[in-house]
Amino acid sequence: MIKNYVTEVCRGGFDAHTEVPESTENGHRMLLESPASVHETRVLDRTVLAPGVVLLGFHAPHLVSVTRPGQFVMAIPPGGERAATALGIYEAQGERASILFFVCGPRTRELAELREGDQLAVTGPLGNGFTFDAAKDVAIVAGGVGIASVLLVAQSLVQMGKRVRLFYGARSAHLLVERDRFAEEGCELICATDDGSLGHHGFITEALTRAKEKPDLILACGPSPMLRAASSIARELGVPAQLSLEETFACGVGGCWGCVVPLDRRSAQAPNFPPEGAGGGEVVMARICKEGPVFWAHELRW
Amino acid sequence: MVGTVDLSVRIGKLDLAYPTLMGSGCYGSGEEFAPFIDLALIGGVVLKSVTRAPRLGNPTPRLVQTPAGMLNAIGLQNPGIEWYLEHEVAKFASRTCKVIGSVAGFSVDDYAYVSQRLAARSEIHALEVNISCPNVGSEGETFACDPNLTARVVKAVRTTTDKTLIVKLSPNVTDIAGIAREAEAAGADALAVINTVRGMAIDVNTWKPRLGNVTGGLSGPAIRPVAVLAVYEVARAVKIPIVGQGGIETTTDALEFFLAGASAISIGTANFTDPRIPVRIADELREYLAAREIGSIREIIGKANIGLSGPFQYEGDEG
Repeated sequence: MIKNYVTEVCRGGFDAHTEVPESTENGHRMLLESPASVHETRVLDRTVLAPGVVLLGFHAPHLVSVTRPGQFVMAIPPGGERAATALGIYEAQGERASILFFVCGPRTRELAELREGDQLAVTGPLGNGFTFDAAKDVAIVAGGVGIASVLLVAQSLVQMGKRVRLFYGARSAHLLVERDRFAEEGCELICATDDGSLGHHGFITEALTRAKEKPDLILACGPSPMLRAASSIARELGVPAQLSLEETFACGVGGCWGCVVPLDRRSAQAPNFPPEGAGGGEVVMARICKEGPVFWAHELRW
Repeated sequence: MVGTVDLSVRIGKLDLAYPTLMGSGCYGSGEEFAPFIDLALIGGVVLKSVTRAPRLGNPTPRLVQTPAGMLNAIGLQNPGIEWYLEHEVAKFASRTCKVIGSVAGFSVDDYAYVSQRLAARSEIHALEVNISCPNVGSEGETFACDPNLTARVVKAVRTTTDKTLIVKLSPNVTDIAGIAREAEAAGADALAVINTVRGMAIDVNTWKPRLGNVTGGLSGPAIRPVAVLAVYEVARAVKIPIVGQGGIETTTDALEFFLAGASAISIGTANFTDPRIPVRIADELREYLAAREIGSIREIIGKANIGLSGPFQYEGDEG
């Protein structure tokens, strides 16, 4: 049996304020006191949304009460000898939270085999979250499994009375899972598929470029090439964008410095070292799991 | 009986309530894992290595999954000793476990300087001397691969502090026992055996190395038998205690290391699997010892029964 010690996927989210955060005096933000813990849960429901795409609901009232849109959990399958997997928190309401994932390796396969009543330990919520208070017209861009990290933020935005357009791309129509759900939640849907089976035939970022009305905030979660494209579109439109980055994690809690991304030193999210003038110049390495996974696109130096 | 089993061990002058350390570079400063585990139930945390000058670390990707383990090449990203002393070290005072600083460098003088600065702080209970980082070019591991350099670094660091010095050895050598003897003679109080095993992985679609640093250090159960052997060989070569490490995930794994000669164990990669593992191992060690009516973990250190199982020789074989 092949075990995994680093994550197969990482999906994250953003924090809840709107302006690009002001840098503090030394140019760095203090990390918030972590509300995270280990949650011993049981699987409440399991739905196969498409071949290899699974939605797992579990009983975790405490997790629900402290989760912000865009955060993730590390899911530890029972037995404890297999590695944890970082997964965006899809739903969080009442006593039930859920994760939505594509089976892409041995661990996600193991998670996919869990059934109602099975034990599932998760650590979380982890990472920061999306920042969205001041926006009025938000474009959410989701590619493939990136959809797992954007439902909570879409719900919050709709509740706050904002316009939410979901630009949602996947390889094929059947992999555009949960699109009816987002419509029911009050999102306007624009879809794209690689094979042309639904919506725009091509990349979802092309559909974003063609959108007639300019959003005032872009939130994106998906594969790195999509995030880079969303980032350059945002720059051309002059619209701020937040990207929930994808990277291999080991610890998921900021302990190993394996999942870093080059970030502008002036970013409020930049870790405070190396100190200015002592190496790295204007760029520092930030942990995607801890300082992120959500970063302002214009502050990334990747 | 389970409640009375004694898991405490002594490493040099360092008393550990539990024989479990958290491996350097895997556990941040302990704070990162505090939401998930009671740090009072582990022996101590070995901090991430600090160098004289700040380091940005290696390019990404820094992590790769491999069969039964993982490769990492972080590259000693750290803020440098001055910033570290000013902004970080004071926070360690509130840790409910022992705090072991980790020192890395690129010259004998580097090691001595950083050790002296770090060991002077009361928040730091002991020092690990990381002479075996495989991820900073050829320089980092050179010290652990050369008996003379090992001796020079350890001697230099020894003059800077009376606190317990744990010297972390590399498995990427021909004769680890010989290096261990040099470290002991130079004044090491204990040895950490082993650091990661050098490795490499290549993406067959892009033909590029899968690590930004090209090579990395292999950890996880893939290296456990290598580590058990290294502990066994080092234990026969020196009298100072050994902190055994390399792919420990379960109580059974931990016991192998104690039996091979380790006085304590260190857990690294397994914490990425489940942060509760160190406490589970301590609980289960108590059960294992209680079931055999053994009062202390110290009674099993180095007790692997080797004597009766030497290589079998056929009658008439020569040599």
